Amino acid sequence: MTRSVWKGPFVDGYMLKKAETARASARNEIIKIWSRRSTILPQFVGLTFGVYNGHKFLPVQVTENMVGHKFGEFSPTRTFHGHSADKKAKRG
Amino acid sequence: MAGRRILLGVIGRPHGVRGLLRVTSYTADPAALASYGPLRTEDGRVFTLAWRGEGIAEFTELRDGVPVKPTDRAAAERLTNTRLYAERDRLPPPAEDEFYLADLVGLAAVDGSGAALGTVRVVHDYGAGASLEIAREGAGPLLVPFTRAAVPMVDIAAGRLTVLAPDEVVGEMAGEAATGDDAAGGQSRSAPPADRPARARPTPFGTQPRGPIVPGGAHSGGAHPGAAHPGAAHPGGAHPGGAPADGGPPGGEAAGFRSARGAHAGAEHA
Repeated sequence: MTRSVWKGPFVDGYMLKKAETARASARNEIIKIWSRRSTILPQFVGLTFGVYNGHKFLPVQVTENMVGHKFGEFSPTRTFHGHSADKKAKRG
Repeated sequence: MAGRRILLGVIGRPHGVRGLLRVTSYTADPAALASYGPLRTEDGRVFTLAWRGEGIAEFTELRDGVPVKPTDRAAAERLTNTRLYAERDRLPPPAEDEFYLADLVGLAAVDGSGAALGTVRVVHDYGAGASLEIAREGAGPLLVPFTRAAVPMVDIAAGRLTVLAPDEVVGEMAGEAATGDDAAGGQSRSAPPADRPARARPTPFGTQPRGPIVPGGAHSGGAHPGAAHPGAAHPGGAHPGGAPADGGPPGGEAAGFRSARGAHAGAEHA
């Protein structure tokens, strides 16, 4: 049995409480977090977190495909804007 | 929107001696650069390109309708760093609720009452949904998720969008961190709580304490350098919230997840 199986995913405990509170309120809100190391759990799907990247809180809309990843993976710490060209953004 | 041009790529260094050139494509699908037809440069010249390899293309300049190709490396070198543009009208219409980033950047942002908020400066998309960065005068940038709830109206033709900035909830409460609530897993990013020892600071001569050395103190970081107290030497009972020796869930932790302080209680003394 691998370490990650018996030990379970890591998540900062306060985030579970905040997620429950945000889900219960059902308001349009962003939960600002510094915990980039926390694993994205199924309880977080549908919520929007502002994940700190050392400079600003980037909005992260949690979807099912992101479960198991860490929050920090979606909030890069290096600046790269790239070029827009013909790239499109879909409104969620 | 009419008359606007969009940067689609840049010509790079020559490849070989027959006039081929490397191309940096900025399009979502790099190979789609050739599908936009003739591309214009900043000085008005018109080029078409045909792919000859991965990232390597053969360019043809249209001079008064007459195709002219660079046939040697010297002629190709003269095209290096040439920027290639296409008219905005040549881009296919996006699907419903899809917007070109080039259209969004520069739009004026207004709030629900019509008051100006600022201008869209950047559209971020790192795999977790797009978000708009709105530059404001006299304040820091505003980041909003690009959702129907936060951006209910986008009017490209009018050059503005409506933003209903969502409430911001601080996920890590300062009060929780200060009290060291292990059940909540709260932790402080600033000063450690009073009941936690200061971390030892490594120096060329071993570890030096940051905090005051307490003679005989069982958990003083200075009195017990890391080697003397590995994490495994402290069972869960000795440290509130620490991981039990039997590998079960940490004490006081809800839902069986590892809490921050529980998982790293041993490491505090390492």
